[in-house]
Amino acid sequence: MLVSEIDMITPSSLSECLMLLSKKGRIHRVIAGGTDATVRMKEGKWRPEVWINIKNLNELRYIEESDDCIHIGPLTTHTDIIHSPILQRKADVLVDAAREVGATQMQNMGTIGGNIGTASPAGDTLPALYVLGARLELTSMSNKRTLPIEEFIFGPGRTVLKENEMITKIIIKPQSPNEIGIFQKLGPRKAQSISIVNVAISLTMEQDLKCREGKIAFGSVAPTIIRARKCESMLPLGQLNDELIRNIAKIAWKEVMPITDGRATATYRRDMASALLERGLYRLMRRWNNQ
Amino acid sequence: MKSIQFVVNGKECTVLCPPAKPLLDVLREDLGLTASKECCGKGECGSCSVLINNEVVCSCLILTGQVENQKITTCEGVGLSPNLDVIQESFIAEGATQCGYCTPGIIVSAKAFLDGIDHVPSVGEIKTALGGNLCRCTGYTKIIKAVQTAASKKRSETETIG
Ligand SMILES: Cc1cc2nc3c(=O)[nH]c(=O)nc-3n(C[C@H](O)[C@H](O)[C@H](O)COP(=O)(O)OP(=O)(O)OC[C@H]3O[C@@H](n4cnc5c(N)ncnc54)[C@H](O)[C@@H]3O)c2cc1C
Ligand code: FES
Ligand code: FES
Repeated sequence: MLVSEIDMITPSSLSECLMLLSKKGRIHRVIAGGTDATVRMKEGKWRPEVWINIKNLNELRYIEESDDCIHIGPLTTHTDIIHSPILQRKADVLVDAAREVGATQMQNMGTIGGNIGTASPAGDTLPALYVLGARLELTSMSNKRTLPIEEFIFGPGRTVLKENEMITKIIIKPQSPNEIGIFQKLGPRKAQSISIVNVAISLTMEQDLKCREGKIAFGSVAPTIIRARKCESMLPLGQLNDELIRNIAKIAWKEVMPITDGRATATYRRDMASALLERGLYRLMRRWNNQ
Repeated sequence: MKSIQFVVNGKECTVLCPPAKPLLDVLREDLGLTASKECCGKGECGSCSVLINNEVVCSCLILTGQVENQKITTCEGVGLSPNLDVIQESFIAEGATQCGYCTPGIIVSAKAFLDGIDHVPSVGEIKTALGGNLCRCTGYTKIIKAVQTAASKKRSETETIG
């Protein structure tokens, strides 16, 4: 298939879009911001017969709070996330992560739905969504289902999304005032780089630097995002002081399962996973102390 | 082939092209607007930056079928000699351009950035805003200076008017 032969249909509503997705016949793929899709089309990896262009389906671009949940439309851009007062207050770790995606142009173009759809182990919003306990709503013409993001992604670029489905909503629990979160990323340079390792942390705090419970999710150190359960189980063991933070970081070194690739060696990734977690926890404690 | 309509630099236009053709190629080949440049072709360098509805994006990754009825601004639309924008004048005054390949993209990014703020930005703010634009010649110091100069000129202009 040549690029010049690829057709494009732009549905004007979600229901029209779902109808198009349910049609058999031409091979289709959804395109939103195109920051992954167009790159892969140019590389020759993705050459559908028709692009279903949802870029301007504004009914899927929103951030709302209702029923004790925050609802995010899949076409919400990284820039929308960064500027959202609701998310700044109640999902700081997601805002942190969106700030680390590419640079201004990519933040203006790229969407959260696209970041999830690509399901890259290095996708920056994903660890944040894991620690926020995100659930995804998947909709087809005839069905609607909601599942945790952990069950949606099962390998690099591999998801349970069916051909006739699309992501129609991302649902997260808002943080309470004693919950704090942070996202840390190591890339080859500050702007516009793919994560070598990234980590999202969310902690529920009590008095005196004591943490009741917490969630830690690493990216780029396994085929999918992983939760560091052993590290998490150590968080409530005492005051999060230098000693405990260092011990947790040591466990992270063992808990991640990175590979060597063109961007970094496995050992370097282990070292950096440990260092990023340590730095993240220190920064969170400093912030909590100053609050 | 599809007939696709959009507005470029304030003018309505209709092009007949494959809908998956990148906007950058349509701007350069079909519309003769050659300020936007192709360099990496994959979103990393910013030399193809244009504004769509006043937001800066990479035209090498936007498919033309996706911009139906949208408003696009290229560097030509920011200003053309002799009616240059204050940003362009500042780039000349500060010597912020050498080979010039990156310049149209940077002007467009700077335009979106300065239109969104009403103060003279710090070096850090400029670095974040222009992080998606690479320049292999200038070393950035003069680019950053030019953006600050443009911002202060804009401010003094609005103060005189106000
Ligand atoms: C230069 C550059 C730098 C980048 N830097 C980063 C970075 O630092 N961190 C990072 O995480 N990513 C980065 N990316 C990748 C990319 O920008 C993000 O993954 C972005 O969020 C993708 O969103 P999109 O809307 O452009 O997706 P698209 O490219 O439009 O789509 C991506 C995939 O998701 C599917 N999809 C999109 N929307 C939906 C939906 N609603 N339902 C179901 N499937 C859907 C598409 O079919 C496609 O398979 C970078 C990309 C480039 C080109
Ligand atoms: S040519 Fe578009 S970003 Fe490099
Ligand atoms: S002036 Fe040559 S690349 Fe910037």
